Amino acid sequence: MATVVRNFWIKSGTLSLPDRNIPFWGFADLNGGPQVPGPIIQARVGDIVRVRLYNNFFNSDPVGEPVSIVFPGQENVTVRQYPYGGKPQPVQPQYSGGNFISYTNYVEPDSYYFPLILQYEFEAQRCGIYLYESGTNPEKQIQMGVYGVIIIRPYGYNIPSHSNYKTAYGANTNSRYDVEKVLVLGELDSAMHQGVIPGGYYNILNFTPDYYVLNGRCYPDTVNDDDDSGQPYGSKISCSTGDRVLLRMINAGFRTYTISFGGLSGRVIAEGGYSLATDGTDNSYERTGVTLGAGQSADAVIIPERPGEFYIYDRGHTCLINDDGFLGSMMTKMDVHPTP
Amino acid sequence: MATVNLWAKDGYMSTPDGNSIYFWGFTGDANRPAQLPGPRIVITQGQEVTVNLTNTLAKPVSIVFPGQRGVLAGGQPVQPQYDAERLVSFADYAPPNGGTVTYTFTAEHPGTYIYESGTYPYRQVPMGLYGGLVVRPADFDADTNKTAYGAGTDTGFDREYLLITGEIDPKLHRAVEQGKACSAGGYRPRYWTVNGRCAPDTMMKDSVPYLPRQPYGSMIMAERGERVLIRYIGAGVQTHPLHPHGNHTRVIAVDGRLLRNGEHDRSYNRFTVLVEPGRTYDQIFRWDGLGYSEQNPIPTILPNLRNMGIGDAGWTLWSGSPYLGQKGDIPVGVVSHNELGEYYFMLHSHAEPQITNWGEFPGGMMSMIAVYPSLSPVVGTLP
Repeated sequence: MATVVRNFWIKSGTLSLPDRNIPFWGFADLNGGPQVPGPIIQARVGDIVRVRLYNNFFNSDPVGEPVSIVFPGQENVTVRQYPYGGKPQPVQPQYSGGNFISYTNYVEPDSYYFPLILQYEFEAQRCGIYLYESGTNPEKQIQMGVYGVIIIRPYGYNIPSHSNYKTAYGANTNSRYDVEKVLVLGELDSAMHQGVIPGGYYNILNFTPDYYVLNGRCYPDTVNDDDDSGQPYGSKISCSTGDRVLLRMINAGFRTYTISFGGLSGRVIAEGGYSLATDGTDNSYERTGVTLGAGQSADAVIIPERPGEFYIYDRGHTCLINDDGFLGSMMTKMDVHPTP
Repeated sequence: MATVNLWAKDGYMSTPDGNSIYFWGFTGDANRPAQLPGPRIVITQGQEVTVNLTNTLAKPVSIVFPGQRGVLAGGQPVQPQYDAERLVSFADYAPPNGGTVTYTFTAEHPGTYIYESGTYPYRQVPMGLYGGLVVRPADFDADTNKTAYGAGTDTGFDREYLLITGEIDPKLHRAVEQGKACSAGGYRPRYWTVNGRCAPDTMMKDSVPYLPRQPYGSMIMAERGERVLIRYIGAGVQTHPLHPHGNHTRVIAVDGRLLRNGEHDRSYNRFTVLVEPGRTYDQIFRWDGLGYSEQNPIPTILPNLRNMGIGDAGWTLWSGSPYLGQKGDIPVGVVSHNELGEYYFMLHSHAEPQITNWGEFPGGMMSMIAVYPSLSPVVGTLP
C-alpha cells in the first residue's frame, strides 16, 4: 500500500474555446497555472490518498474566495489543518452565523506569505472513476472549472502477470482494456464566466450554457493531443480493430447528457463506481450510448470491428453546435486503425 | 434481401391547438408527402437491407443506424463527411435537391432501433428526420413463434406497439422554414410528441385523414391478460419519463439488445422508464386486473357521477361502469367515446409540462392504454 499525495492551489486563468477566450478557475500546483479538469489523481485500492489544498500561499492568481474539495463516492474522508491543526477529524458541513456555507471544511484565502493548508485524507476503497470538486459555492466554483477526476485501480493493474492486469475493476469483471480514455463532461456559460465576481452573488438561475465540453475542450479542440495548457487532456481515441476500448465517462456538469457511441455498441460494465459484475453474476449490458446525470459515471467497453473514423457525441444534439454553425462542442473522435 | 426506399421531404404537420408547423421528414413513396415520424421499417434478423435515400431538400441529408454494425454507403463503410475540414455529417449523405445515397447492412440483432439524420443533426433530427426500425428475430413466426428476441428469450407477445417520442420547438422550425440560423442555446420545445402527434391526436387511429403527415396513432389496445410488447424510441433531444398509470412494464431490452447474459435474465420491472435521446426500450406489458365483477363488487364507493366527467372538453373515454365489458351512466352533457366497456388509463411523460400543448393541459406526450373485453387480432400489429 502506498500513500498518494497531491498539493493543490485554486487559481484563475484563461480558457480557450473555439472562438473566444474566457476566464476560469481550476486546480493548479505551486508553479503552474490552473487546469480543467484538474490533474487526474490515480490510486490503487488500499492506498491512502492525501490531497492538500493551500490558501493563497504564493498564489499570484487567487480566485479570492474560500475553497474546499469534496470527494463524492469516497467514504470516511478526514481533514486536518496545517499549521495548528490537531488531529484529523471527519469532514463536516460548515456554517456561519447559522447559515450553511460549505459542504465541507474549507480554507480561507488569507495570506500570500503564510501557508494555511487543509489536508483531506481517505483510503481508496473501491475501484472506479470519481470526481473531486469544489464544496464551497459549488454552483459557482464547479461551473468555473473547479473539478477533477480520481481513478482508483485494482492491485495488479500494472503487473503483466497479474490477473487484474489492465483491468478497471479486477479479474472477472469484463473490464479488461487495451485502450483507456477518460471523458469528463461539462458545460460553460461564457457570460457568467466573463462576469464572475469573487465573493459576489452568482445567480445560478441565469445559468445558460453555451459551450459543452469533453475534458474541458470543445470539438474540434477535443481531438487534439494532450498538451501542457490549461486544458491539458485530449479526448481523441486511437485504437486498432479488435481492441477493447474502455470509455470512462463522468459528468462534472449540471445538465444531463447522452453520450452516443457513434454507430458502435458498447458494453456498460460499471456505473457510479460500482462494477456490474457482482457475486459471480454478470449484470453488464450492451448499449449504443449512455445517459449521465450530474455527477454520474459509467464505464463502457467498445470493441471496434472495422477501421475508420467514428464520432462519439452527445445525442442531446442541441449541444453539438459551435457559434459558426458547424458541428462542435461535446463530441470527439475514435480513430480505428487496422490491426497491425 | 429487403429494399427500403426513402425520400427526405418537407411539409406541414398539425397540432391539436390548431398550429401548422413546417417540418422535414422521410416518406416511403416519391409521390407521398413527408411524414412524422418516418415510415416504420420492419425487417428480419439476418436479412441484408438496402436503404435508398433520395433527398429533395436544399441541404445534404444522411441516415445513421445506431445499433447496426458494418453499415456501408455506396458499398464502402460509412464515414464522417467534411466540408473544408469542417465536420458536417456523421455519415455519407445524399446531396441536396435530388441527390441519392444507398446504405446497406445486415441486421444482425433483433430489436428496436432508431434511424435518423446524421447530417447537421442538431437541426435535422428535431426537424423530424427520424423513424423506427424493427428487426424480427430470425425464427419469428406471427402465428407460432411471435417473440421480440427469439424462442427461449421469454419475450413472446400477443400485440405490439411502437411509440417514438419527440419534441418540437416552433422557433427552430420557423427559422429553418425562413432559412435563418439556429443557435445551440435556444432550444425550447413547446410541443411534445408521440409518433409525431400531440395528445389528444395521439389517441386517434392510424392514418386518419385529418392528419395526413402524421399517420401513426399511439393508443395501446389489448385484452386482459395478453402480453403486449411496447417499443419506445427516444427521437428527441430531451429525456422523457414515461409510465402507464398504476401499472408497470417489464423492460426486456435496451437499444435493441436483450437484457440477458447467458442464462442470467436481467430484465426488470419498472413503473417509470426514462426514455433517453436516441435510445430504445422494449417492454412487455400485461394487465391482469383484479377480477371484480358485479357478482364480486369492488370494495369501494365510486365518486359521485357529476365528478366523473373528464376535463373541459366535454368528452370522456370512461364507460360509465367500473366493470370491464359493461357500460353505465355518463354525466349529462358529457360524450363518451367508450366502445365496449373497455378500461382506459393514461400512458404519459411524468415531466408534466410535457403533457401540454404550448402550456395548455391536456396535450403533448400522452396517450392511453385500453383494456378491451375482446379485440380483433389485427389490432396491435406492425406491418
